[in-house]
Amino acid sequence: MNGALDVALRLLAVFVVFLTFPLIVGQTEHKVMAHMQGRLGPMYAGGFHGWAQLIADGVKFAQKEDVVPTGADRRIFQLAPAVALLPYLLVLLVIPIGPSEGAVGQAVDAGIFFVLAVMGVGVLGSLMAGWASANKFSLLGGLRTAAQLLAYELPMLLAAASVAMAAGTVSLPGITAAFEWWWLPWQIIGALVFFVAGLAELQRPPFDMPVADSEIIFGAYTEYTGLRFALFLLAEYAGIIVLCGLTTVLFLGGWHGPWGAVGLGWLWTLVKTALLAFVVIWLRVTYPRLREDQLQKLSWTVLVPLALVQIALTGIVKVMIS
Amino acid sequence: MTPASAALTTATAAAGTHGFLSPTGVEIAFLLVGIATFGAALVTVTTKQLVHAALWLVATLGGLAVEYLLLTAEFIAWVQVLIYVGSVVVLLLFGLMLTKAPIGPSPDADSGNRWAALTVAVAAAGALVWVVVDAFRTTWIDLSGPASGSTKVTGASLFRYWVLPFEALSVLLLTALVGAIVLSRKAKADTTPTPAGTPTVPGSRREKEGAR
Amino acid sequence: MSRPSPDPRHPSAPAERTRKSIPGSGLAKGLAVTLRTMTKKSVTEQYPDTQPALPPRSRGVIGLFEENCTVCMLCARECPDWCIYIDSHKETVPPATPGGRERSRNVLDRFAIDFSLCMYCGICIEVCPFDALFWSPEFEYAETDIRDLTHERDKLREWMWTVPAPPALDAGAEEPKEIAAARKTAEKLAAAQPNPTDPTDPTGPTGPASSPDPTDPRKGES
Repeated sequence: MNGALDVALRLLAVFVVFLTFPLIVGQTEHKVMAHMQGRLGPMYAGGFHGWAQLIADGVKFAQKEDVVPTGADRRIFQLAPAVALLPYLLVLLVIPIGPSEGAVGQAVDAGIFFVLAVMGVGVLGSLMAGWASANKFSLLGGLRTAAQLLAYELPMLLAAASVAMAAGTVSLPGITAAFEWWWLPWQIIGALVFFVAGLAELQRPPFDMPVADSEIIFGAYTEYTGLRFALFLLAEYAGIIVLCGLTTVLFLGGWHGPWGAVGLGWLWTLVKTALLAFVVIWLRVTYPRLREDQLQKLSWTVLVPLALVQIALTGIVKVMIS
Repeated sequence: MTPASAALTTATAAAGTHGFLSPTGVEIAFLLVGIATFGAALVTVTTKQLVHAALWLVATLGGLAVEYLLLTAEFIAWVQVLIYVGSVVVLLLFGLMLTKAPIGPSPDADSGNRWAALTVAVAAAGALVWVVVDAFRTTWIDLSGPASGSTKVTGASLFRYWVLPFEALSVLLLTALVGAIVLSRKAKADTTPTPAGTPTVPGSRREKEGAR
Repeated sequence: MSRPSPDPRHPSAPAERTRKSIPGSGLAKGLAVTLRTMTKKSVTEQYPDTQPALPPRSRGVIGLFEENCTVCMLCARECPDWCIYIDSHKETVPPATPGGRERSRNVLDRFAIDFSLCMYCGICIEVCPFDALFWSPEFEYAETDIRDLTHERDKLREWMWTVPAPPALDAGAEEPKEIAAARKTAEKLAAAQPNPTDPTDPTGPTGPASSPDPTDPRKGES
């Protein structure tokens, strides 16, 4: 009975995080992006600096008609948002936020592989949406999504493998527990590669070629309306949370901090994740979109070799210190 | 389809040695997931909608991953999802999107030699099942003890006892990779007047498959 | 990931081009720009809450100082899209002195501007020889029906109150002709009347004190 209650509470906590954190990131993006462009952003909804803007957006989405194009593959079209969103919920389950046993939704032995595998499944949602919409822009978006995923999955995996080598384990709590401060300079290349590849996998600017709204409308999501569209957006922001949380846990030491690592470890994790989320927004505001060939080139000629260099470096240092 | 049925049969065979009358919960789950996986595999090869077939393949491969999980082989399960669902199916869908695969049934999806295909499939499945059942007839995975399929155990056995086949496979994949590069370069040089997009597609595809 | 070319506005740009810059310094510069902008105060004016401070010569709406209008129709005829409607009739004015000739005078019946047609060129204001039309910065007159955008003379007269005062003349500038003429008349009157019980303001006779001075905006306009 106690065990069941514990499981239920954990699931509830993860679910609440899953529903609120993306909204917080979204709102932060509204405001940060606005101020970086010399604007104010939403100011009305909710009264104080438009804090309720995303809630208002959600209400608006819920009111809209759920349109399925006549020529679309109905079932797949309707299933795609769920396929895009649910993997991120599963990933959130395994990200540890504190040093204690209970600070993770569900400890998974092969945590890194679980996380990367499930995130890869999430992209399947975009592909399904792109193909099933019966729209050439959606199809182009789907194609670009697939090409981007294939290109960036490899460096991401290699970077994660490097840190797993350093820690000697593939479980996320294990990696965080093995973290020392000097891993930061040691794994910095891997961290950069992981973060950049993760951004590309999330299709965030400047890697938003698959949804490039100025050329292919909204890529795979062009034909979506109402709640299903909102689910895709939620998936994007949940993806930011997941990516930042993962980078924190793998490369930035998670709950480690200069002080209070035992009691306030969860706070360190949250602060680092929030900082990374800010960087994600910052990059979006600063850089223009990469062209498709630049995208592929960046992955195959820069990120993959860098990741291999990092793995070699990790191996050498690991052998030397053991 | 063949691995699914093989797994199914191993399950029944394993359950047989320990008695069918008192199956545990895991065994029942294994059997049910196996049936679902088998069904998904059947739909994959019989459906006339190409993209649906690819998506049913996702279900099949995911079902297989669940089977691995139930057998405590966590690492293998996640790698299965990562490689097959995350990359191979994506590659498949990518290829399908480049074709004129229609939404709805493809009229020419039926091949004339389906009986030959069925024969080959059944023969291959039979051979695999026979080999697997013969090899692992008396093996029993202890689900309650320490996980016998965890990453640590898998890694140790892979690099301690099976390192030669592992390396041989690596060399094979490397050869495939190099071969793909060579083939695609040659094709590009030969077919300069034709549109540049056509020769690169099969080349890049083979290259990716080699890379994994 | 090509780095942005050096900013030509910076004087150090050619030097930077010759000097070998660190790879990625352009990327870092971009990040610095956005971060700096974020810490600065944003320039957004929250319009419905705070009114914008518009320059006095903003072309918001056309106000009619109908007391000055003589129904000469110049504005209506010059209007490129014919959006000014003027109706009038003639009235006979009794002779000013007994035995004199009767005079006729144009009386304005209707003066309307269709702001759905108006293209805010300001030609009507330019051509008006009697300073009856003025630009006002007032802009909040949107309507839900296009027909309601034809505004009649009472509304146009109300907008006269929003016409800002003209900017002051430069120091040492010549006195405006109208004011000089008015002052001369006032001085003559003062000379004719020996008892100075009513000291007249030099600008007084040009118009009612409460209404905006019709002569001065014209000066600000031209």
